Amino acid sequence: MEKESKNMLKTRARAALLGCTICVGWAVGLNAQTDFYNTDKGRPVVIEDAYPLERYGFELQLAPLRLERQRGGIYNWGIEPEIAYGILPHMHVEIGFPLVYQDAGALQGRRTGLAGIDVSMLYNLNVETAGLPAMAIATELALPVGGLAADQAYASFKGIATRTYRWIRFQVNGSATLGPTPSPGDDIGVEEVSRWLAGLAIDRTFPLRSTLITAEIYARDPITADSEVEWNAGAGLRKQLTPRLAIDGGIGKRLTGDDPSWFFTFGTAYAFAVRSLIPVGRYQ
Amino acid sequence: MIIPKWSLRMHHRCPGRSAGVGFGFAIILAIFTGEASAQWSRVYDQFYLPASHNWQFRHNYPAADRMFNAFDYGHAILYETLYNYPDAPPSRLEEKEYDFITRELLVHPPNIPLEEGAIEIAYAKLAPEAKAMFDWAHLLHRQIYDVWADESIALAQKDARVAELLRYYKTRRELAFSSTPKSMDIMDGHPYSGEFRQKYPKFNGLIWAYHWLQIGLYEPLLLGKTPDERQTGVLASVGRFWQMLETPPEKMPRLMPMTAAVAPLFATRYPEAGIIFDNLHMMHDVVSDVLTSSKIPRKEKRKELLRVAELFRDRTSYATTVQEWRDMAEMMGVHNMGGTASGGIFTALPEGTVPRGMSMAGMNHANMPGMQPGRDTTAAMQHANMPGMQQRPAARDSMAGMQHANMPGMRPPPRTAADSMAGMQHAGTDMERMMAMHERMIADPVIRERMMTDPVLQRMMSEMMTGMSAGGSTANQAALSFVVQLLSDPAVQARIKTDPELQKLWADPDVQRLLEKARREKTPAPHKH
Repeated sequence: MEKESKNMLKTRARAALLGCTICVGWAVGLNAQTDFYNTDKGRPVVIEDAYPLERYGFELQLAPLRLERQRGGIYNWGIEPEIAYGILPHMHVEIGFPLVYQDAGALQGRRTGLAGIDVSMLYNLNVETAGLPAMAIATELALPVGGLAADQAYASFKGIATRTYRWIRFQVNGSATLGPTPSPGDDIGVEEVSRWLAGLAIDRTFPLRSTLITAEIYARDPITADSEVEWNAGAGLRKQLTPRLAIDGGIGKRLTGDDPSWFFTFGTAYAFAVRSLIPVGRYQ
Repeated sequence: MIIPKWSLRMHHRCPGRSAGVGFGFAIILAIFTGEASAQWSRVYDQFYLPASHNWQFRHNYPAADRMFNAFDYGHAILYETLYNYPDAPPSRLEEKEYDFITRELLVHPPNIPLEEGAIEIAYAKLAPEAKAMFDWAHLLHRQIYDVWADESIALAQKDARVAELLRYYKTRRELAFSSTPKSMDIMDGHPYSGEFRQKYPKFNGLIWAYHWLQIGLYEPLLLGKTPDERQTGVLASVGRFWQMLETPPEKMPRLMPMTAAVAPLFATRYPEAGIIFDNLHMMHDVVSDVLTSSKIPRKEKRKELLRVAELFRDRTSYATTVQEWRDMAEMMGVHNMGGTASGGIFTALPEGTVPRGMSMAGMNHANMPGMQPGRDTTAAMQHANMPGMQQRPAARDSMAGMQHANMPGMRPPPRTAADSMAGMQHAGTDMERMMAMHERMIADPVIRERMMTDPVLQRMMSEMMTGMSAGGSTANQAALSFVVQLLSDPAVQARIKTDPELQKLWADPDVQRLLEKARREKTPAPHKH
């Protein structure tokens, strides 16, 4: 059984790699610029900055990988291909498709499937000035699509602030989720949904290396009934490899609760634009 | 908040410490409270125009491309230092940063464009609007390099691509520099003008050398007939840039490099782009002055930067004509700007002849009585009488009431011949025609190139200028001798035949009569190349 589990893991890993390759292959013909300095949720940490993707730009999250190890040596793999588009000045929209391979061990079995569709929007209110941090609002909608999704949709609203100092940059995020509290026994899917979340991230940038390191701490209240506030910490790195491609990696750990699991993430972001979406006359 | 977890949901949790959540508010207050003068800014980034030529310059000319990445750092650290350390000794920029940039960063330039916002942190917060203007114009710079670096684009198509880039650039009116040329007053006509270059002559020279290369690199791309020629030309231009840093600030540009002078081919082909880049580079200098000057209180600097930025964007402030823009570059003298970009590295850098960082305020042809090159150049031209040609009090070298003819070491070089005819009162129409021809000849890039590379011609030009300072018939005779000598050059003769206007002037019977007379009176030494 253990051997079968390992084989399954290898198969899934190959599938993930194949997905990455397909995505890269599709995007290579396009031209883009991406930005290690502009952090997104989960890339590499949960707490993000207040800046949207540049207008007309697309950013493809190439099959970001997440590996989580839980008590008892259980490993969980997931990828969430995402694409974001700078649809308006100050605003981007994003859609993600979390694919999950859930290995609960020999007793509980394994499941694979889509864990919903995530649609989000980020709107930047202002850029940072001497007197004010950059601020943004965001909305996120988790749609109940796929075998591993929740039974119902959840909508979240988030406020984001970014403040930069000479040596360090701070990000603060706070969010709240609307929707009924699921009862014990309801299928709430495999994505974590928080009734509220608040957190702080600290970035340090190495501009000549086009590299950013970050660390975060956040608290969240799971949306399930009689849940307790969880504290989590994470750290990560984001690096620009080429003008078009950035990579990121992160680690994190749940600090409270019976299951102090840890996770590892790795992803790539590839940016491009589509000429026909830009309203300027073509050359003759 | 939905967090991608993809894990087994754990239903047994340990008690959390919810009381700790509140500490975040205290942190937020401490971290996010800024200066009282809060400013609301709404600039945003926009993607560059996607096209097949994207990143071709990076691909085909990696050494030059990487230099520009290092330049990004130079601009950014300059503004950051000026704003953060207003009382720092000049050595902070002139030695510490300068040495790092020239001995480390430019030697090992970054592989990818830098995030300037992560370097000029305080400046980016001070005036994000101005920063965004620079970013947007730098993007245009790079994209035009890409068009000309892309060997798959036919020559005829390159112009259309550049036109498209310009259209795209101008769609962002809130960021785009005006494509109307501005007089030098917009750079040098403020109470604080020139303070940066007074205090930091070496770093200012470095910035001007940057700007020289940024506009100069177009020249070999346009001039080269084959990919190999373009490669050689680009490398030569980069080499030329390094030459400027050999003995700082001695060999650095003494005046802000202007596109029409440094890259005449580019400026002729794409005057709009050239004007935009000159406006961009002038604003770089103005920002440096604003940040340096103690005349502007710290709390007023943002306001002044935004005011100036608006002047650079609009089409009317300090507006001049394209012809005057070209004449201005001519008059200032390319040798004072580091020379033409097609000069190669096998010749010495041209010697500057004006005081380093001299103010150009008032150097607006429209304001100069009788100084409308290309039209009537024979009216009295007394630089001392031209508004603004009196050196600003702030300038290091006292040049009050300066007259070019009276200034030691201020002998105008070849490019400024027309400019230097101060006091010339031409007697007759024959001489007027001759001078018109002379002016047109030195405006021609090929002929000018011959002049710059020929020591005999350079010596004669110098002698002519000396003669001109005497005025009257001596000046006329000197100019005539120079033209005769110039015309003995086969390359110059060939060039004249390709230019209808020059051909017309040259064929004028009165001009021919004067030339013949000059040849008879003073047979010049045979000219050899």
